[in-house]
Amino acid sequence: MNAERTEAAAIDAAIDAWAAERRLPEAYRARWHALGEGDRAALYNVASALRLRTGQFAAAFDLIEELAVRAGVPPATILAGGEIRRILDGIGSAPGRARELLEALRAMRFPRLKVAAERIAAAVAALGLPAEIRVVLPRELGSDEVRVEISAHGGAQLERLIAAIAGHRAGLGKIAEMVGGAHSDDDEI
Amino acid sequence: MTTRFELDALYIEEGERSSALAARVIAGLPAGVAVRYVADGRVAARPAAGAADPFGAGKRRMIILRRRSPFVMACPAGSSEFACCGYLIAALASNCPMDCGYCFLQEYLADNPGFQIYANYADLFGELDRIGRNAPARAIRVGTGELADSLAFDRLTGISRDLVDYFARREGLLLEFKTKTDEIENLLAIDPRGRTLVSWTLSPARVFTTTEHRTAPPVARIAAACRVLEAGYKVAFHLDPIIAYEGAARDYLALLDDLFDAIDPGRIAFISMGGLRMTPGLRGAARRRFPRDPMLVGEEVMAPDGRMRAFTPLRVGLYEKLRERIKLADANLAAYLCMESPSVHRRVFGAAPPAPHALGARLAGS
Repeated sequence: MNAERTEAAAIDAAIDAWAAERRLPEAYRARWHALGEGDRAALYNVASALRLRTGQFAAAFDLIEELAVRAGVPPATILAGGEIRRILDGIGSAPGRARELLEALRAMRFPRLKVAAERIAAAVAALGLPAEIRVVLPRELGSDEVRVEISAHGGAQLERLIAAIAGHRAGLGKIAEMVGGAHSDDDEI
Repeated sequence: MTTRFELDALYIEEGERSSALAARVIAGLPAGVAVRYVADGRVAARPAAGAADPFGAGKRRMIILRRRSPFVMACPAGSSEFACCGYLIAALASNCPMDCGYCFLQEYLADNPGFQIYANYADLFGELDRIGRNAPARAIRVGTGELADSLAFDRLTGISRDLVDYFARREGLLLEFKTKTDEIENLLAIDPRGRTLVSWTLSPARVFTTTEHRTAPPVARIAAACRVLEAGYKVAFHLDPIIAYEGAARDYLALLDDLFDAIDPGRIAFISMGGLRMTPGLRGAARRRFPRDPMLVGEEVMAPDGRMRAFTPLRVGLYEKLRERIKLADANLAAYLCMESPSVHRRVFGAAPPAPHALGARLAGS
């Protein structure tokens, strides 16, 4: 019992030291301390192992907490998942793995958005548009607006690119429909 | 009745001490609820100092006071950026004894969360008479369920009786009670003469269980709708907010099937749909109050209107599935979207949204 208490006190002290060093906002420090002992320790291990910057820690903490709420499990369970473990135990640089962690958490937090965005990106790539034509999708598919940008130097090039767009009219139309919700995979819903 | 609400205290503004509303509420008040008289009810509506959850505490503090501003207003959800139903709001109360995790009142009423009911509610009738005189040819739908639930505590206040009676005598005006309760006893005793519609917000059992605290279960809401329908009221339903959790389509479609099994779709006036939308401020407030609610941590992203919404293909896909099921049940059953852009409306319904007054008139006359 005493050993457990000592260990918990040591984790809390380590959290406070980490928070002070990184100038972590007090609200995050308080939330961290409010977690269960195992969760506090698991989060500390991630923060220290990957040398998370303050902003990265805050983003990761939010994502982990929200994933835990949605799954109805403690945050430590999220951090023990295969993909996260692989990143934590990986051999790359700490900053690289920190970025990878955030990407993985975000993909877990928004799994259907990831699938939809990848499907639309693949459809855009399959059009094989010239490099000077860019299909700009709405950020996080937050709207149904699709923008097509042309970068041209001179009238001849512009004409050629406009003709390329016209030639891909149907394909571009399909992209716009996908962004707006058509061709959704039933599994997404 | 499955919904039972609790109060900590009743505050009555001195000037309304002898009002009919105060007398009715005091007569029906459960034993043990303190009654206090205050000079200005608005002060009592402010957040309780030191309360861990001032908004939640406000729900348990009923305040009877005089409304100083007009009762009728345009629906706060209305905006030029959305397809709109031309709804008018009658603000007879503010806040609600139920506590839904997604409720916009958590942000909207953060500065005055006390559960206010206006003793001079009959002044509404003069405002409506003027509106009716100014637009005699227009069918107008007026709802009381935007800043409060229309029927919560109606057993205490009895306001519904006066409202139904007024609207029963007015052509061109339709009253809408919007509720998540099954508190319909007062309604069953009056003949609405077709001028009152009762609408229920419906959610799948999963949303009800995790998020719609102290509301009547969906099955009880549908049962209540059956009863008021037989008593001569129109009925309608709001699938709003639609929460796009994994498996949502299956659950919402099953909910529609349950509804259409219980009520002939030909007898339903309309069904509205609206996806969950939260400003960042609302989301923060809701997450602080309900940190364990899984419905508040879905795949919502920032939309152009500054609200967090399920990303577009997910949200529109859901709308389309529900629209198809509604159409299959009855091709003439009116459906519309709340707080969605005209382009989303076109995707779901295959046509541009009607003008607000046209849709409003259709819903009012339905």
